[in-house]
Amino acid sequence: MNSEKPIVQMRKVCKRFKKTTALDQVDLEIYPGRIIGLLGANGAGKSTLLRHIIGLYLADTGECVTFGCEAGKLGPKELARIGYVHQQGELLEWMTVRQLVRYVSTYYENWNRELEEKYIADFEISTKARVGSLSPGQRQRLAILVAIGLEPELLILDEPAAALDPVARARFLDLLLQIIQAENRTIIISSHILSDVEKVIDHAVIMKEGRILLDCGFDELRERFSQVRISALTGELPAELPFENVVYCKRSDGQAILTVRDCPQEKLQEQAKRLDCWVEIETLPLEEIYKIVVS
Amino acid sequence: MSYQSAKMSILTVNLKHLYQRRGLWLVYAFLGFIAFACIAGALDRPAAGKGQFTRFVLLSPVIGLLAAMLALEVVAKPFSYSLPGHRKTLRQFISVVGVTVSLLGSLLFLMYPGLRSWQLALVPCSTLFAGLIFYWLGVWLIFGIRSSWRFVGFLPLVIITAGFFNLHVIIERAIVETPFAVILVGALSSVVAWRLLGNAGLARRYCAVPWLGFLDFWNRDKLQRYTQAKKAIKWEKLKTHPNPWVEQFFLGRMKECEYFSQGRHVWGGLYTTFAVALSRWRDALSGFLMALLVVCFLGYMGPAATIIFFIMPGFMVAQTRLPAYSSMLVSGGRTERFITTITLVATIAVLVTVLVTVVAASSLPLAAIMPDFTLRGANFSFHAVNMGLFFVPLLMIPIVFALQLIFFRKPIFMMLSIMLLFMLLFFGGFFGLPALVLQRNIVISHAVHKISID
Repeated sequence: MNSEKPIVQMRKVCKRFKKTTALDQVDLEIYPGRIIGLLGANGAGKSTLLRHIIGLYLADTGECVTFGCEAGKLGPKELARIGYVHQQGELLEWMTVRQLVRYVSTYYENWNRELEEKYIADFEISTKARVGSLSPGQRQRLAILVAIGLEPELLILDEPAAALDPVARARFLDLLLQIIQAENRTIIISSHILSDVEKVIDHAVIMKEGRILLDCGFDELRERFSQVRISALTGELPAELPFENVVYCKRSDGQAILTVRDCPQEKLQEQAKRLDCWVEIETLPLEEIYKIVVS
Repeated sequence: MSYQSAKMSILTVNLKHLYQRRGLWLVYAFLGFIAFACIAGALDRPAAGKGQFTRFVLLSPVIGLLAAMLALEVVAKPFSYSLPGHRKTLRQFISVVGVTVSLLGSLLFLMYPGLRSWQLALVPCSTLFAGLIFYWLGVWLIFGIRSSWRFVGFLPLVIITAGFFNLHVIIERAIVETPFAVILVGALSSVVAWRLLGNAGLARRYCAVPWLGFLDFWNRDKLQRYTQAKKAIKWEKLKTHPNPWVEQFFLGRMKECEYFSQGRHVWGGLYTTFAVALSRWRDALSGFLMALLVVCFLGYMGPAATIIFFIMPGFMVAQTRLPAYSSMLVSGGRTERFITTITLVATIAVLVTVLVTVVAASSLPLAAIMPDFTLRGANFSFHAVNMGLFFVPLLMIPIVFALQLIFFRKPIFMMLSIMLLFMLLFFGGFFGLPALVLQRNIVISHAVHKISID
């Protein structure tokens, strides 16, 4: 049981768009000081969930509370604690980058000019360029700048790195780790690039068809899934391998690769000792874990 | 399947677009109504040399415009570029539609009075080619002039002007009296069009180019993507836009208000709505002069027509984006957005009403100096705009914005409801509103007179 107070609480939230159920009985609690990875296929309901948190969408049934306030009634004081990078990135096209930053910053008391200048320099954003003429990557960088400049307590990133090149993505991930250093900062990141996400997150939420399939700490998640490689030292492998909760098994010529669920590494080591084989136990990458969870 | 049959099937698939796009049904209904009126007009009391039979032919450019737009919409899709045989379908599609429509128009001439035996074959043939000449004109407008679809709104004006100068009579005479010349010009224009439309570079030129079709005006997302792509180039050229003084003024007002206060959000909303208009004062001046020209035109059309002058601004502001549904997160909550939206609507309504009233008032001194004239037997005299209708924009703009917000995700319903409102106001105004206003003015003047006597 977590002793801290959650900054976001969703209880039995349902949202339908005509015949499509976007969110189905979603229960979620988000605690401060974490980087949460929100994972799921296209149409799983990730963006809808994020938009409920800031009150852009209202739940058909259920309740969504952000910073102790009903999300639909969030006022300027609460919203000034939230930074949001939208998937489509609506910005004011006719302004220059500098004008847009000046305009957005006017709304916020705690706008960090130092961070703004550093970010502009690090991410090579042309401040004189017209927002409408920016490339998708540059546009995404600008959207991130206007979301982090206000030093938000809760930073919501909906597919933030999709349009960034590999170098910019690496810098962006470093930036997230810097942001989270500050006390009580929380980041929710929704992304399809799982290899990037797993470098930074400490909590994972996996969604499918509007439901939350899994909601747990990332370390716990990695411990729950292991890959066991077994090679026979002499002859063939035994017909029956003494492992429990095997979700996937591939055997070939004295070798086997098993994916095991909910089996502690110590127990796996112990079981492996009984075999006269060479055994290697590895944790699975997030991408593989994700495939197992949603399949 | 042979290559030939495969090629035919691609054409068939493209022709299917003509009925698969449900938005076009509305256009067909409209065109069908006009075509019916043209045919009925010709067959009711057929008379030679009065232009009754060529009205249908004059629909050809409109159909050419539409067919070319539909074909281009397909060509502009990147996937169609690499489809085998698809690039050549462009001219096949456009030609099939053109020939079919022109053929239908030519059949009407079989009923033309007074045609002798050899003319019964030659005149419909001449009409077919005349129809094709006009059809290619419509097609050329789309390919030859960038963004020519924007001028579709002016078509009624073109048709009225053409009718005023008896273009239909002139064309009918040409078809009947000089059929060989018409056939020659028609055949030449068709050969040129066939060759130009078969140019391999055409598909390359339009492939993946941001393109907005006639029906896409009702597709908000596509409209937004297109405008973004197009305006990016334009905005890059306008280095001084928005003007620094505009930015300083609005950001200054924002900073004068407390953080998180409603005032800061309202000034922010006013900035994002009016900055462009205030920065481009030359365009504003051009708009004012254009409005004066419209007043002059409507002034000669008669007092009842001036209702249009008060209704049009409602239409013109309908596309203004209100902050109610903005997904760009600044610190404004739902209440702040609502109040900002209401303030913006009120500001726009008042400003537009004041501007329209000023322009309308300028027609009063114009009435003294504008001359009367006679054109083709009709007398025209200038009438000042009926100032009693000044309140129409003030009433109409909030309704238009309310409709915009209600049908935000259904732009077609928004357009239809606004058009319905326009029709109600126009016909209400044409037949009843001025009379009501005049009656009210008489009542008021009677009351003032009575009070002054008392």
